[in-house]
Amino acid sequence: MAATVERPKPVLVPDSCKGCGRCIDACEHHCIEPGSDIDPVTGLVPVRIHLEHCTACGLCFDACPEPYALRPEFADAARASRPAPRATAIPAAEPIPDAIVELPPAEPLVIKGMYASAIGAILAGCRHFFGYPITPSTEGAELMARLLPRLDGQFVQAVSEVAAINMLYGAGSAGVRATTFTSSPGFSLMLEGLSYMMGARVPGVVVNVMRGGPGLGNIAPSQSDIKLACRGLGHGDSHAIVLAPATPQEMLELTMLAFDLAFKYRNPVIVLADAYLAQMTGRVTLPRTMVQPGVPSWAVAGDEAHRRNLITSIYLSETELEGENLRLLAKYARMVDEEPRADLFECGDAEILIVACNTPSRMAKGAVRTLRARGVKAGLFRPLTLWPFPIRALAPVLGRAREVVVVEASAAQLEDEMRLAISHANLATPPITRVNRLGGILPSHDEIVSCVVSGARAPALEATA
Amino acid sequence: MSVFYERFDRHDAGEGVKGRSTHYCPGCGHGLVHKYLADAVEDLGIQNRTVAISPVGCAVFLYYYVDAGNVQAAHGRAPAVALGEKLAHPSSIVISYQGDGDLASIGLAEILQAAQLGIPITVIFVNNAIYGMTGGQMAPTTLMGQRTTTSPEGRGRTMGAPLRMAELIAQLEGPVYVERVALYDNKQRVKAQRAIKKAIGLQVENRGFAMVEVLSECPLHLGLTPAEAERWVKERMLPVFPLGVKKDATATREIWPAWKTPIVDPAVVHAVIGGAAERVQRFCTRFPRELWGRDIALKLAGAGGDGAQTAAMIIARAAINEGFDATHIPSYGPESRGGTSYADVRVAEEEVLSPAAPRPHVLLAFNAPSLAKFGPLVADNGIAIYDSTVAPDPPRLAANVIGVPVPATAIATGLGRVTVKNIVALGALAGATRLFPTDTFLTAIRQALRDKPALLELNEQAFALGAKAVAATH
Repeated sequence: MAATVERPKPVLVPDSCKGCGRCIDACEHHCIEPGSDIDPVTGLVPVRIHLEHCTACGLCFDACPEPYALRPEFADAARASRPAPRATAIPAAEPIPDAIVELPPAEPLVIKGMYASAIGAILAGCRHFFGYPITPSTEGAELMARLLPRLDGQFVQAVSEVAAINMLYGAGSAGVRATTFTSSPGFSLMLEGLSYMMGARVPGVVVNVMRGGPGLGNIAPSQSDIKLACRGLGHGDSHAIVLAPATPQEMLELTMLAFDLAFKYRNPVIVLADAYLAQMTGRVTLPRTMVQPGVPSWAVAGDEAHRRNLITSIYLSETELEGENLRLLAKYARMVDEEPRADLFECGDAEILIVACNTPSRMAKGAVRTLRARGVKAGLFRPLTLWPFPIRALAPVLGRAREVVVVEASAAQLEDEMRLAISHANLATPPITRVNRLGGILPSHDEIVSCVVSGARAPALEATA
Repeated sequence: MSVFYERFDRHDAGEGVKGRSTHYCPGCGHGLVHKYLADAVEDLGIQNRTVAISPVGCAVFLYYYVDAGNVQAAHGRAPAVALGEKLAHPSSIVISYQGDGDLASIGLAEILQAAQLGIPITVIFVNNAIYGMTGGQMAPTTLMGQRTTTSPEGRGRTMGAPLRMAELIAQLEGPVYVERVALYDNKQRVKAQRAIKKAIGLQVENRGFAMVEVLSECPLHLGLTPAEAERWVKERMLPVFPLGVKKDATATREIWPAWKTPIVDPAVVHAVIGGAAERVQRFCTRFPRELWGRDIALKLAGAGGDGAQTAAMIIARAAINEGFDATHIPSYGPESRGGTSYADVRVAEEEVLSPAAPRPHVLLAFNAPSLAKFGPLVADNGIAIYDSTVAPDPPRLAANVIGVPVPATAIATGLGRVTVKNIVALGALAGATRLFPTDTFLTAIRQALRDKPALLELNEQAFALGAKAVAATH
């Protein structure tokens, strides 16, 4: 005997019915009519159903916009029982931890800074790259386009930086290690996506190669996105760790570190480079280990274990959003506590403390050597994290310094970060001198030395002082 | 049953009636589309694999209802987010759900790229001809003459005509299936259900990108009852947005290539990133401090194609092979596409500190303009080597700068391949400066030609002739 599929008849659930009446026209047997009684729970007027003529055709179910306003009623009692609730029945996913595995030994590579970043990303377990070509970062994307297919990874040239950062958001939401490389104008376009990433706690790594601005500016080296990365990373109260490499070697190392920090904090991490650093070829020693990434418990990974997960940054209730803001602030506070990093050179007895990062810190290091040779007690303080600024490392050397000389290729953006950190730490601000160049010019060794020795000022300084 | 949550815990904590009803206004089409989506996921048996991307717009809270993986995207960016999700876990079934402002206005670039890429994702596009969430403003799909809060006199000519997204997407190569459906009567609703299930099913088959545009009702902002809104869609929207299948390449479209799991085997990674274990032989006994101290600046300059960058890279690699530090900065701007090519190289005993070379100790100029431009900048006691074939006139150099002419182009031409003139010039540089032993340079040249062993002999000859030419002129 052929089995017949029994179709259910509708039973109205009045407090789920909004009385829209779309079911009324759908019913060809006129079983449903507009209601007249206000439902005390919803304040709406649900429809009325008479089942005398109902043929269980089911059309009313398909016409009702509400999931639960019409309850199916089966004559067969066995089918009438509701299925067990599903969403809450799934236990939280267990995280699959990353594995650190040994790499075969290798001779140093001689590669561009952007290549070093790309290789660092690969060694950190990144197999997904989303990017848009922009000078002077493009070579990194080009290398990823060559290498990732050989590792069965994914390279996508996005339609814009806006799309690229949102692909990063998607891949990060899925819990995989993904990255994008860009340069200043492209970084501006990514700020919306970065704000969403911070709001929704999505990890990802953005390498921004700073070039001259504002506007189209030029493609020469600059440091004028420090403010953007440290203070203006999209709308809302947001922060991300900002790493500042100074050599191709550090492009690799800090890009690798960026992935660990991004997943440690579920937050994007910015690697701020400059155009010289991106384009410069140098010696890069490979690490002894690489990362085989796991799957975090919160990932929306498209399987049963992670089905209950949600990635979002919307909190309509002000108190809920304030609560989330406070949780994010607590996370940022943890970054401030645990992640500041700095490199100190000849700072032990320094009376002249030079502060610099990225490529200018190399010139500054040379200047320190020259000054030391001339008997000037100079030292270099180089922040590796621009946010959080390594104030605890700076404080003791600041106390000994007679003068601080900030060397940078921006209009005092690094200096401002330092001043804010000094102010928040309630430290006395020492006399600060600037050696800064703009327009895509880096301060030179000679400019730094002559500034310290004779107080000579670089041309850009007068305009910005 | 479908894959809705049993109780909508995310809707105001699921308390009271909100736990069992949507946030939509009475008669809104979104609820229907949600149901068809949820039914399709259930029917296809893919609930655990499903990832729903919520847009910005009234459907921002799709994740209140659909019991699947949920990601909420920025306005218009859902297709980009969907691609990121899909490529991260290709076995997942990713559904991008968008309204007309989201997809057809602010997210035009994202939807066009996703559609043209053709990667299997499913887009459900709800077109109700108005901005609902922000309160009834003009949408890209608002009809001509339709009054909205931002077209108070009716949409006029200066506001452009409504965008027909289904037709626009269907004419791209990428999508496998595009259909426009409606919700205004039983027949249309059945078609809508089928289309949504088909579009998701095509992703399950790994067939490709599919989009269903759903003409939907927004009774609130149309100022109509739900029944009137259904009629409005039928009578007003249909003439502008004709229903039907706009593209269906299901029968001919090949299945998308099988997705592979990314490789994380360290041996493979090591090989792919170019790791080499064999130690490079060293020939220097010490850094050539006697030349210009512990930090030497070189500039190589010429026209694009002269090979200045390759020669610069070989010098840097040679120095690093010897355990010294070196950097090379190429010119990378528009000027390098426009014919000139400069390279700054620094070679330091311990650490390069200033990677640029504004006052080089060594200039290698491949043409007369480069010699004229950089010759005067050569540092005291420096050397300016130049291709005398193309720059025959003696350069004006400072008294304590040595000019070294090398007929690099002529020598390279004599070897039958003018492109090796950079290696001829490099040989001359080696000969004139004694920066490193010949074997140091030859080792770096061999590394540079690792993938072109057939050219090795020619390049070694070129290097030797360059060195010899300098010896002859001295």
